[in-house]
Amino acid sequence: MALSGIQIYKLLPQTNCKECGFPTCLAFAMKLAAKQVELSACPYVSEGSKTQLAESSAPPIRLISVKAGGLEVKAGNETVMFRHEKTFFNRPGLFVRVKSSLGVEAIKDLVTKADAYKVNYVGMDLVVDGFAVEADEEATFTEAIKAVRSATKRPLILIGNEFAIKSGLDNLSGENPLVYAANEANWEAMADIAKKYSTSLVVAGESLDDLAGLTEKLKVKGCEDLVLDLGLGHLGNRLAKSTQIRRLAIKKNFRTLGFPSITFANGHDGQDAIEAAQAIGKYSGFIVLDRFAPDLFYPLLVLRQNIYTDPQKPIQVQPGIYEINSPKADSPVLVTTNFSITYFSVANEVEGSGLPVWLLVTDAEGMSVLTAWAAGKFDSERIAKSVKEFGISDKVTKKQLVLPGHVAVLSGEVEEELPGWEIRVGPREAVDIPSFLKHAL
Amino acid sequence: MPIEIPKDKWPGTIHTVTLGATNGEGGTRSKTVTFGGETTMPFLQFEAPVPHKPVVAIEIKDHKPEDWSLLLAEVWGAAMTDPAEWAKAAENAGADIIVLALSVNDENGNPTTPEKAVGTVKKVLGACGLPLIVFGPGQVDLDNELLVPISEATKGERIVLGICEDKNYRTIVATAMANGHLVTARTPMDVNLSKQLNILITDMGMPADRILMDPTTGALGYGIEYGYSVMERLRLAALQGDTMTQFPMIVTPGFEAWKTKEAKVGEGVPGSWGDWKERSINWETLTAVSLIQTGADIVVLRHPESVKRVKYAIEELLMA
Amino acid sequence: MTDHKIVFKQGDNNGEPIAINLPTGTLLSEAAKQAGVEVGQPCGGQGRCGRCVVQVTQGSIRRRSVLRLTSEDVSKGFALACQSVVETDVEILVPAQEKIERRLTTDRSVADVQIPAGYDFSWSQSIRVVHLNLTPPSMEDQTDDWSRLQTAFRIQAGYNRVSCSIFVLKSIGIALRNGNWSVTAIVDVSDQESGIPVKLISLKPGISGEVEPLWSLAIDIGTTTVTVWLVDLTSGEIKARASEYNGQIARGEDVISRIVYAGKESGGEELQIKVVETINKLVVSACKRAGATPDHVYKAVIAGNSTMIHLLLGIPPSSIRFSPFITTINHPPRFTAQELGFNFHPDAVIDCLPGIASYVGADITSGVLSSGMYATDKLTLFLDVGTNGEIVLGNQDWLVGCACSAGPAFEGAGVVDGMRATEGAIEEVWVNSETFEPTIRVIGGGKPKGICGSGLISLLAELFLAGVLDKAGNVNTTLDSPRVREGDRGGEYILAWKNETATGKDITITRVDIDNLLRAKAAIYAGFSVLSEQVGVILEDAEQILIGGSFGKYINVEKAIQIGLLPDVPWERFQFLGNTSVLGTYYALLDSEARQKIKDIASNMTYIELSADNTFYEAFMSAMFLPHTDLNRFPTVKAALNRP
Repeated sequence: MALSGIQIYKLLPQTNCKECGFPTCLAFAMKLAAKQVELSACPYVSEGSKTQLAESSAPPIRLISVKAGGLEVKAGNETVMFRHEKTFFNRPGLFVRVKSSLGVEAIKDLVTKADAYKVNYVGMDLVVDGFAVEADEEATFTEAIKAVRSATKRPLILIGNEFAIKSGLDNLSGENPLVYAANEANWEAMADIAKKYSTSLVVAGESLDDLAGLTEKLKVKGCEDLVLDLGLGHLGNRLAKSTQIRRLAIKKNFRTLGFPSITFANGHDGQDAIEAAQAIGKYSGFIVLDRFAPDLFYPLLVLRQNIYTDPQKPIQVQPGIYEINSPKADSPVLVTTNFSITYFSVANEVEGSGLPVWLLVTDAEGMSVLTAWAAGKFDSERIAKSVKEFGISDKVTKKQLVLPGHVAVLSGEVEEELPGWEIRVGPREAVDIPSFLKHAL
Repeated sequence: MPIEIPKDKWPGTIHTVTLGATNGEGGTRSKTVTFGGETTMPFLQFEAPVPHKPVVAIEIKDHKPEDWSLLLAEVWGAAMTDPAEWAKAAENAGADIIVLALSVNDENGNPTTPEKAVGTVKKVLGACGLPLIVFGPGQVDLDNELLVPISEATKGERIVLGICEDKNYRTIVATAMANGHLVTARTPMDVNLSKQLNILITDMGMPADRILMDPTTGALGYGIEYGYSVMERLRLAALQGDTMTQFPMIVTPGFEAWKTKEAKVGEGVPGSWGDWKERSINWETLTAVSLIQTGADIVVLRHPESVKRVKYAIEELLMA
Repeated sequence: MTDHKIVFKQGDNNGEPIAINLPTGTLLSEAAKQAGVEVGQPCGGQGRCGRCVVQVTQGSIRRRSVLRLTSEDVSKGFALACQSVVETDVEILVPAQEKIERRLTTDRSVADVQIPAGYDFSWSQSIRVVHLNLTPPSMEDQTDDWSRLQTAFRIQAGYNRVSCSIFVLKSIGIALRNGNWSVTAIVDVSDQESGIPVKLISLKPGISGEVEPLWSLAIDIGTTTVTVWLVDLTSGEIKARASEYNGQIARGEDVISRIVYAGKESGGEELQIKVVETINKLVVSACKRAGATPDHVYKAVIAGNSTMIHLLLGIPPSSIRFSPFITTINHPPRFTAQELGFNFHPDAVIDCLPGIASYVGADITSGVLSSGMYATDKLTLFLDVGTNGEIVLGNQDWLVGCACSAGPAFEGAGVVDGMRATEGAIEEVWVNSETFEPTIRVIGGGKPKGICGSGLISLLAELFLAGVLDKAGNVNTTLDSPRVREGDRGGEYILAWKNETATGKDITITRVDIDNLLRAKAAIYAGFSVLSEQVGVILEDAEQILIGGSFGKYINVEKAIQIGLLPDVPWERFQFLGNTSVLGTYYALLDSEARQKIKDIASNMTYIELSADNTFYEAFMSAMFLPHTDLNRFPTVKAALNRP
């Protein structure tokens, strides 16, 4: 049971020594309750308190890391069922499946292309995380691994039986791939391999009962870094299983299944996109797609980015130019901040007025106009910067910029920052925008 | 080793809502659509059966919109110029419900009149047997001016009138109550605002099984995560017993997705975005499928291929 | 750049026009300041308040903003001085400056102030009077005066280290000789235990039984009002009290406006001087009433929010405004009156009480002391509402505090017909739920001019319960009553017809006003919710709710609960304490232990920055409803609504 700030405070020294980096013990206790800080930051906490607090803070899902070439894909350490409760931490890795039967040249082509793939989304470059090399023909596996490694440095998942995996691992060094998979028949051999090569190991089983049986046996063998394969199946089935293991781990602290999971998305006609999308939202740690295509990866990478953003930040809209009522070159430019409620109230009023407007949404870190101004996040510099950054000058001939009435004080400075623009001050309340547009402009 | 699966038992239930009325029920629809009634988070059939599956609506306009993506113009073709034809095409494309979104101006650029709007609604009802949702153009005065006569002219059809917002809900709710229709309540991606509008509408005496809520969403890449979490929170609150959030949710991923540059245009975009058509279908489909898994009961879409894929996903989700 | 001749004519005096030459692009407000013409800028020159309106009678200017001006105003040449720049030679008519209502409401709680039990000047006080008899110097004993005096202090008073200022030093030679080597010293022994030397404040010749009275001051610098209590140190009695609007008010009504103004050229110095002048004036008038002279004031303890303290000390306050909102100093050292420009004894000790953070200042630590919440085992909620709302939750074991920018709506700002609680303000309203007709009570009993904070709370509650407002605050304009109508800014309610008012205009409350009030009340309630949630206690478990500041004094608890401003707990748990800040300075002034306690409070209170994540925003949105989105938090209101 999670402890409240006050309950934790009672277990702390209450000396307000500030050595943890917080001004008081209560401030530190509240951060602990919110799981935003580690107990180890307190140098004076008693052993007894440590034990009591440790139970409420250990991560229920083991952190698994797959590494190669200085790159790392992490999964696990999640603490909630729903992102709004805190946040989802480790974005699931997106892997492209490479079958060894494809042949060396085709493999090189595919991997080179996918490895080089890079798509820009709000200033970030999103990429493919790695490759899942499968020994669908045992004989070609080592050649396939070599071909893949010649074309990418990214982390790998190896798929095959224990013999293929062993030969594969012998051809790799200095990395920790994820091995797929230990099952009821081969788990002992796989456990030996995973230990010998210090790799993480996927566990495959029909049901959660099977999986639990295997993880227990593997733990006894000394394999702790495990990943669960929930199997193929209908979306409904996948959802049920992933929900169940997440819930067992988080709500019941059931360590036997306290591991991240792996999902294969291999449907046809766009169904793979749907399967992968479900896996992103519903708790998967590693996602393997059967094909690589930019029109498939771009939306998935963006979805993953979206679902894994920190929901504790204010709701924002993307800064940029919003066209309302089909603005033309002589339509006015209205400026506002990127706080969602502010944006919506301005956009609704403008939309309702029926008058064409360019709405320039400035990055004010998700604050309303007055708050952002008070905190220095909505000043002439930021406004001028977004005018330039979003290239609004190219779209309008009549350079008329309307500031929110609350920041009338900025008009002079904005004028200086933006020569050639006519700076106007609009109303303070969104409700007055239509009449301002009709009468004052 | 048998594992005991933890199951959530929730005190709350989502209202079951039926849209449309057949001849025998005082309307003219060839079929009605029922949704809602959930007692668990979406599709968790190990906890409780899913009483009604989410449904797909297709959005049509009163005349051919100028600003829709070429891909949409291409796929709907000539049907777009006639709302009746468009509605029929939408029915053939697999829609469960038609959403008719009225425009500020008619095809000649004159303001849409109540007579014209009523005429359009009647044409659509005549051409297609599916239940109907009508969205006003989104301007307070005009919405009220158009929706009231539409409501009266279609008395008994159990259509949905939209869109109620916190600053304009009274007139729409009153006419819907008087004429046996439903309303949809839209709020901008905020749990509290959503709940507040539901309270205001309920305070007017609107029966609970005639309210839909639209918590608004962003498209993939444009704020979907906010809509996503707001919807999850609303559904959780409803299941926890908060009566003012126990309404089925309608969202418009089609509208949102097709606004984005990713879906809308095929030229002048980065090569890394891939094939235009496939990308835009994915954009709309993934937006919709993600939201269905947070609790959407109606998703309003635009492209027939997305409709097909989303319906596939719903069927798949129902299979345990 | 070309200079233009700017001529100011003032509407309220028949004096000569004042002219000044300044370049193109100069703001009219700047020109007025340079010409020495007073143009009030309550918003600090942000173009928000519209009070700096002037009329251009000749020449041309360029208006950056015409906010609050109608097109008719503009055509008549009216312009906002802070938003308009000179383009040619111009002639400007400055309208008669509206006098800020000088009538301040009297502080009801003052009458009840007790001298702390057991106050003993010779024990509790850091200011001491010491009599010394020195051995006179001689040809043999050539020790200098200062060393001689130090020796006397060491032997006769036990003070091993004594310091003094140059000002005192100049006086000691004469005092020693005039007193024939017997002197009376006034010293400050604060923090002696931590090695700080005893400070010699004044040295007077002779030893006499009847010492001149020792005066001291308890001062609260509010953003709006400054309060001074003149205290006789020997008896501990308050001999006079005086209050006055903070002289900085013309340069901005809220702290942010002041910070902005302080950032302008010489703005900081100007504000420093303004507040010192305000205090000096108050001290003179208090002394006059008590028959004292300011020169005999030896100590002043000052509380105020962190911005006020920074401005008083002349410290640039800009970092207070910007994330992560850090002050220059929370625990200021002691200064002398002379250093800050006060008119009392030049070496008087000026002790500014410690604050906690940018937006929870010494006024709050002082309030926490005087409210007694730091010493009770009862879970206590303390609220101080001024232009900002500060909230403290806790008891003797722990304290958490936060500040929420409630805005000045409850002081009547941001509401079209809002005003302060002075004569002519509607202070209480009743609305008939069948006819929707109002009954009003006006301060002073005459015709109403506007609505003050308590009137606004009352009005909101009554309109809500009568069904004129829905829970979102929308006016139901479909009601059959001439009192409701659709205005330019949404629905509005007419509280008083123009023929009933002192202004000849309807007194109304509009949708925008209601939104402002809802925001203010939601911010305060959200502050309560967040504090209690973060520490993990239930808000309604608060055993006492203490309300400080002028805000609390006249509000009706029932109505404040009905609009969801205060938590729905039994009324007897609420207590209105008045100006807790000045009371805390009074205790700190008299009692070294109380002073130490404030220091402890300041060091131990946990400050919660509400903008750190969106918890506050969630709570705020939830509270942006009448009374709250979760009606179950307000059981008595729920019951009232269900009543047929």
